[in-house]
Amino acid sequence: MNKIVLFFLKKYILSPKREWLRFDSVFMVTGIIISVATLTVALSIFEGYETVLKKTILGVNSHIYVFNAGEGNLSSQNVKQIENELQKHDGVENTSALIITQVMAVNGNRIKGSIVRGIDWEQQELPSKYKKYVLEGTWKLDAENSAVLGYKLANELNLKLGDTFKLISSLNSKVTPMGLKPKEETFTLVGLYRSGMYEYDSKFIFIDRNVMAEFNSMENEFTMVEVKMKPDWIERADYIAYVWEHEFDYQYQISSWVDFNSNLFALLKMEKWVIFIILSFLILIASFNVVSSVSTSIIEKRTELGILKAFGASDKILRQVFIGKTLILAVLSVSFGQILGVLLAKFLSWQKFFVLKGDVYFLEEINVQFGYISWIIILGVSMLIVFAASLIPLKNISKLNITNIIRKA
Amino acid sequence: MSLIRVEKLKKSYNEASGKLEVLRGVDLEIQQGEMIAITGESGSGKSTLLHMMGMLDSYDSGNIYYSGKQINPKDKDLNEFRNKRIGFVFQSHYLLEDFTAEENVAMPKFLATKDFKKSVLDSRKLLKALDLDDRRSHYPNQLSGGEQQRVAVARSLINSPEIIFADEPTGNLDSKHSDELINMLMDLNKKYGQTLVIATHNKEIAGRMDRCFILENGILKEIPK
Repeated sequence: MNKIVLFFLKKYILSPKREWLRFDSVFMVTGIIISVATLTVALSIFEGYETVLKKTILGVNSHIYVFNAGEGNLSSQNVKQIENELQKHDGVENTSALIITQVMAVNGNRIKGSIVRGIDWEQQELPSKYKKYVLEGTWKLDAENSAVLGYKLANELNLKLGDTFKLISSLNSKVTPMGLKPKEETFTLVGLYRSGMYEYDSKFIFIDRNVMAEFNSMENEFTMVEVKMKPDWIERADYIAYVWEHEFDYQYQISSWVDFNSNLFALLKMEKWVIFIILSFLILIASFNVVSSVSTSIIEKRTELGILKAFGASDKILRQVFIGKTLILAVLSVSFGQILGVLLAKFLSWQKFFVLKGDVYFLEEINVQFGYISWIIILGVSMLIVFAASLIPLKNISKLNITNIIRKA
Repeated sequence: MSLIRVEKLKKSYNEASGKLEVLRGVDLEIQQGEMIAITGESGSGKSTLLHMMGMLDSYDSGNIYYSGKQINPKDKDLNEFRNKRIGFVFQSHYLLEDFTAEENVAMPKFLATKDFKKSVLDSRKLLKALDLDDRRSHYPNQLSGGEQQRVAVARSLINSPEIIFADEPTGNLDSKHSDELINMLMDLNKKYGQTLVIATHNKEIAGRMDRCFILENGILKEIPK
């Protein structure tokens, strides 16, 4: 930057008159801080929501699911073939076959439709983070007819650890003189599962896979094979599923987490940017104060400007000085606004007075995350708006007539 | 060759009551090292003429030549030209409030050279020469009226201009400080050979200059000594 401009900016900051503490400057700075903080809070919450939702979905579910392409379930032979083939792939971390079915969970007069996942819990590394999410009781399903329930489901059924409840399945119903009698069996609650995702915590029941097979009369049958991919491969899961489908000669229907959730994440991304654009208007409104503050400053300093022009200062240098002054205030206020926004967002995630509706938003807690890309984008957009706003009144500098100024002063 | 030659300079202002012709064809020739006084009643156009000769203002018609070269008022390099060759002293000191006396004096040189250290060193020398050495770190509001005007004179001299235009430089000073200031300007003229053009309605001051002019009804006439 020009030495002269730097000199003037240094004077501006260190001047005993503290020009930057003038009412209109403070008003301008406050406007920018509030608007940037609002934008930062909104983006932090959106980004946090998106990240935690993705993390939870990928934690609860595996990344690729292999089903039988035709009618019926996968046989033991199918599972063996699938697992043998997939283990050869570099991107596969582990696989597990499981049985999934819908049942009615009953405790006294409380009934709730649920999803039962029959899992091989003894497997050291499961594709889903089942063990990690059992926060109360045990994840071991070794006791007879033991079950782990989502904590919301347990609450709704009024169940505590050690209580028993019934699972009723219309599959495998018996024909009796009274009509179809659904299969029912009693289970003991041994653990509570808490993923943070409302849909899973209010619906999922985990029982041993062999018990599940017996309960559903599905000996040597499996609903699907879950596949966990290594981190670098997760985002490409949809493509890999497509390739595998072809490699297995379309014998199996292979889907990925992307297929099930891509619309949701696309929507979240779009909403985030729509919110960004809408809230950027706040900065635009705040920039009106910039126009007013710079205009006032030019009017107040017109004699000084006239004298500087008379002694050889070009309009360009004078404009740069005003832009520099505005940008110094803008950088400070935008940065402060971002810090304030992050702190406010952290407070929102920390407080317990206001929680999200889990049945609407999947998650109940407000999660916050603020990446450096968002930081740079907010800083860039804010600076651009403030810079553009500061240019509007600067046109007046070239219109200043030295003689008129001297005569009127 | 004359330092400045003004030919048929005309200037008018559009006012609510109609067109006001301030200069109706002024001719003037000033030699290097001369001391000139331009007198006239208030509002006669003395300041306007000085501002136009100093390239601070535009004119309707006519020509101004510096060292034989015609000046174009719309020239982009006019700022630089004015900064290096012309010094101004106004009726009011117009010192920059946020800058110390030495920074104010250094400003025109700093704007021309971008070398702050050198500009301040030269400014200190000038302030010392004008007996203001002990006031160099003071802000304008900490100086007396006479000191402020002397700092303003120092500022006009910092780039060693060929010519100094002084527009009623003693207008805001008492008679003692007025005498001091005029003596100082005349000393500088003798010492450095700088041309001095003073607009004043003070006949005593005008009488001390080499030549004296009066501006009446937009026409400039020389008053024989």
